Amino acid sequence: MADLGRAALFVSLGLAVYATVVGAWAARAHKRRLSDSAGNALLAALGSTAVAGAVLLSALLRHDFSFVYVAQHTSTELPTGYSISAFWGGQEGSLLLWLLVLTAYASAAVLINRRRAPDLVAWSVPVLGGVAVFFAFMLVAVSSPFETQTAPVEGAGLNPSLQNPYMLAHPPLLYLGYVGLTVPFAFGMGALLAGRTDERWIVATRRWTLVAWTALGVGQLLGAHWAYVEVGWGGYYAWDPVENAALMPWLAATAFLHSVMIQEKRGMLKVWNVLLVILAFCLSLFGTFLTRSGVVNSIHSFTESPLGPWFLGFICVVTAGSLALVFWRLPLLRTKTRLESLVSREAAFLYNNLLLVALCLTILWGVAFPMLSELVRGETRTVGRPYYDFFLRTFGLPLLLLMGIGPLIAWRRASLRSLGRMFIWPAGIAVAVGVVLLALGAGSSVPGLVAYTFSAFVLTTIVLEFVRGTRAVGSFTQLVGRNRRRYGGYIVHASVVLLALGVAGSGAYGSSAERKLSPGQSLSVAGYTLTYRSLSQQRGANHIALRAAVDVSRGDKFVARVQPGKNRYFAEQQVSNEMAIHTDWLRAEDVDVIADQINPGGAIYFKVLVKPLVNLIWVAGFVFLAGALVALWPDAREQRRLAARYALAEA
Amino acid sequence: MTAALVLAALVAAAAVLLVAVPFLREPAPSEDTLPEPRDSVKRALAFAEERDRALSALKELEFDHRTGKLSDDDYRELVGAYRRRAAAALQGIEPAK
Amino acid sequence: MIALSIAGVLAIFLLYTSIAGGGTPTLKPSQLAGHNDRVSLVGMVTGKPSGDGHNTALRFHLRDRDGTAAVPVVYRGSVPDLFKPGREVVVQGKLVNRMFVAAPGTLVTKCPSKYAPAKSSNT
Repeated sequence: MADLGRAALFVSLGLAVYATVVGAWAARAHKRRLSDSAGNALLAALGSTAVAGAVLLSALLRHDFSFVYVAQHTSTELPTGYSISAFWGGQEGSLLLWLLVLTAYASAAVLINRRRAPDLVAWSVPVLGGVAVFFAFMLVAVSSPFETQTAPVEGAGLNPSLQNPYMLAHPPLLYLGYVGLTVPFAFGMGALLAGRTDERWIVATRRWTLVAWTALGVGQLLGAHWAYVEVGWGGYYAWDPVENAALMPWLAATAFLHSVMIQEKRGMLKVWNVLLVILAFCLSLFGTFLTRSGVVNSIHSFTESPLGPWFLGFICVVTAGSLALVFWRLPLLRTKTRLESLVSREAAFLYNNLLLVALCLTILWGVAFPMLSELVRGETRTVGRPYYDFFLRTFGLPLLLLMGIGPLIAWRRASLRSLGRMFIWPAGIAVAVGVVLLALGAGSSVPGLVAYTFSAFVLTTIVLEFVRGTRAVGSFTQLVGRNRRRYGGYIVHASVVLLALGVAGSGAYGSSAERKLSPGQSLSVAGYTLTYRSLSQQRGANHIALRAAVDVSRGDKFVARVQPGKNRYFAEQQVSNEMAIHTDWLRAEDVDVIADQINPGGAIYFKVLVKPLVNLIWVAGFVFLAGALVALWPDAREQRRLAARYALAEA
Repeated sequence: MTAALVLAALVAAAAVLLVAVPFLREPAPSEDTLPEPRDSVKRALAFAEERDRALSALKELEFDHRTGKLSDDDYRELVGAYRRRAAAALQGIEPAK
Repeated sequence: MIALSIAGVLAIFLLYTSIAGGGTPTLKPSQLAGHNDRVSLVGMVTGKPSGDGHNTALRFHLRDRDGTAAVPVVYRGSVPDLFKPGREVVVQGKLVNRMFVAAPGTLVTKCPSKYAPAKSSNT
C-alpha cells in the first residue's frame, strides 16, 4: 500500500509540473483548450493527492507500523481520534496535508472562476501549480510519508501533551489558513502576468482571503487556549517562533484586508496591495517552514533538517520572482490618485496598514535575529519577551485607538467641526472610564490604563455606529444586511477590543505568589486564601495522577476546591503539569494554581497566578468568528452588481 | 502488492484522462483562443470600476451625512463634485460599447 | 508620506535596540569562556543533578550537545517537569569563577518533539 501512496504522490508531482509548464505556455499562446487542460491537471492532482492521503490515513487507523511514519507517531493503544491527528503530527504528514488543502483550494478556485475570468485563471493556474510542484517534490524526493520498514511490535506513540481535542482542531485550522493565502497570491500574480490592472483578482479572492484569515485567527486563539489550559504555566502566548509563525501572516493578511478596501473605494494603492499579498503568502510559507523544522534556534539545526535549505530556497525564489513581476508591471499599476487629506478614512486605513506591517516586521526581525546574528557575528543572540512586549505596546495601542477613530472620519476628508461632534461622546466616556479606573488603582500600569481607556473609546464608537446607522436606515437587520462587510468588520473590531482587554487585564494587572506548603498551610494572594489540604494518587489508563486538594476562599467565605497536580505517563516516561484553573465570573478573573514541585514528604511548592479578564480573550474568539461570518455572508445584490460590471469583459 | 500497482495505474490513467478531457470534448473546435479582454474592453472595465467607485462614494457621502459625520456645508460642497465624477465615468463606458 | 512613516518606525526601532541592547547571546558551554555578561546557556544535562531548586539549589552539569565541554550550573527556582539527564535545556545567567550562576526561574527545557511549543516554567 505504501507503493500506492508513493505512486499517487508521483502522479501529483507530474500533474503539478504539467499545470505549471503547460499552463504557462497555454496562457502565453492564448490556447483555450490547453489552458483548460492545465486547470484540469490541478483537479486531477486533488484526486491523486487524496488517494495518497487515504493511504496514509488508513495506515494510521490500522496502526500499520510497517510505515515508518505510523510507527513514529502512533501506538497500539492510541485512541482513534489521535491516530487521525497523527496525520498532521509529523513533518511528512503535514506536508501532505498542505498539498491536499492546496489542491482542494486550487481546484475550487479554478472551477468557480474559469468560465467567468478565463484569462485570469489561465495565468493563476501556473502559479498555483508552481507552489504545488514544490510541495509535491518535497513529498516525493525529500520527506516522504511512505517510507517503509520491517514493522516493529509497537509504535512510539503520541506525546501525551498532544493527546487532547485541541490537537484535532488547531493544526488543521492553521493549515486551512496558511494554504488559503496561496489563492489570493496566485490570482494577484495571475493578474499581473495577464496584464490586467483592474480589481478582478481582488473581487475573485476576497472571500478566500477572509476565510483564510478567519481560520488563522481562530486557530491561533485555539492554540493560545490550549497553551493556557493544558501546558499549564499560566500563560497563553510566549512569543515562541512557532507561535509568531502564525501571527505574522495573520497581521499581513489583516493589513491586506483593509488596504484592498482603499483600492476598492479610491483606486489607489494597487502596488501596495500586491506587495502585501506577496508578503502574506511568503510569511505563510515561512510559518510552515518554522513550525516544521527546528530552525530558528540555530543555523546548525537548520542544516540538520533536510527541509530547511529547500524551503528557504523556495521562499527566495517566490519572493524574487514575484517582486520581479511587480517591477515589470509597475508602469501599469501606477495611478495618479493621491491622498487628499491626512485626516480622512483612507489616511486612517493607511496608518492602520503601516502599524500592522511595522508590528509584523518587528516580530519577523525578532524571529530571524538568532539566525542573522549567528551569520554575522558568529554567536547566536536571542531577543526576549521585553522586546516583543515593547513593540506590541508601541504599535498595538495606536492600532487600538485607530479602530475607534477610523469609523468616525469620513472618506476623502473630514471637517474638524463634524469630527469634534463625532468624538465628543466616545472621548468623553473614555476619559470618564479612565478617571474611574485611575481612582480604582489601575494607574499601577500605564500601558494597561491606556489600553482600557482606548478600549472604552473604541467600544463606544462601535455602539454609536450601530445606533446611528440604524437610525439612518430605519432597521437594524437592513443596516447590517446591506453593509455586511462594514458591520461585520465592526463586530470583529469589538472582538479585538475584547482581546486587548483580556491581554491588558491579565498582563498588566495580574498578581502571583509562590510558597512551599505542607498540608494545612495556606498562602494569600490578591484577596484569596489558598489552603493545601491533602495529596492523593489515582491511576488512569496510561498514567498516574497526583492531585493536591486546595481550598480557595475569599475572606472567610469558601469559594472552591481545586486540584492541581501532575500526571506521570508510563510508556513515554514523561511528567505533565496539570494546572488547576478556578474562574470567578463575577470578579472576572482566573485563579491558576500550579503544583510546581511535589516533595516526597507531601509538602508542595505552589505557584498561584491571578489573571483578571483573561477569559475575555476566549470570548473574543467567538465574537471574532461571528463578525467574520457576517462579513463573509454572500450579498446577492452585490454579487449581481459585480457580475454586471465584469460581464463587459467576459462577454 | 499487485493491488497497489493496479490502483496506482488507475490513478495515473484517471489523471491523464482528466487532463485530456478538453481535447476529447472538442476534437476540432471552430476556434481555440483564450477569451481575453481587448484593450478597449480593459478601458471600459476601468471606467466601470470608476463608475462604481463614484456611485458608492455618493452613497457613502449620503450615509455619512445622515449619520452626522459630514456637516451640511461639507456635504453640499462635495456632493456636486461626486455627481460630476459619476456622470463622467458613466460617459466613459459608452464609447467602448 | 510612506517614506516618513517608515523613517518613524525605524527610528523607534533603533531607539529601542540602542537602549535595550541587541538581544542576549545564546551560547554553548564551550563558548562561555571570556563572557562575563548575562547570557543564555544552552546544552544537555549530564551527570547526576542534585537538589530541587526550591528547598536546595539545583546543581547539575551542562555540556555541549555535540561535544564534551561541560560547565557546572547552580540554579534556584522552578524546575520544569521534563528536566532530566539527557534533556536539552536553556538557562540564563552569568559565569562566575568557572561556575554558571543561573538567574532564578529561567530554566526551560527544549521540547523533545518538534511539534508543540511545550514551554514550562515561564511567566
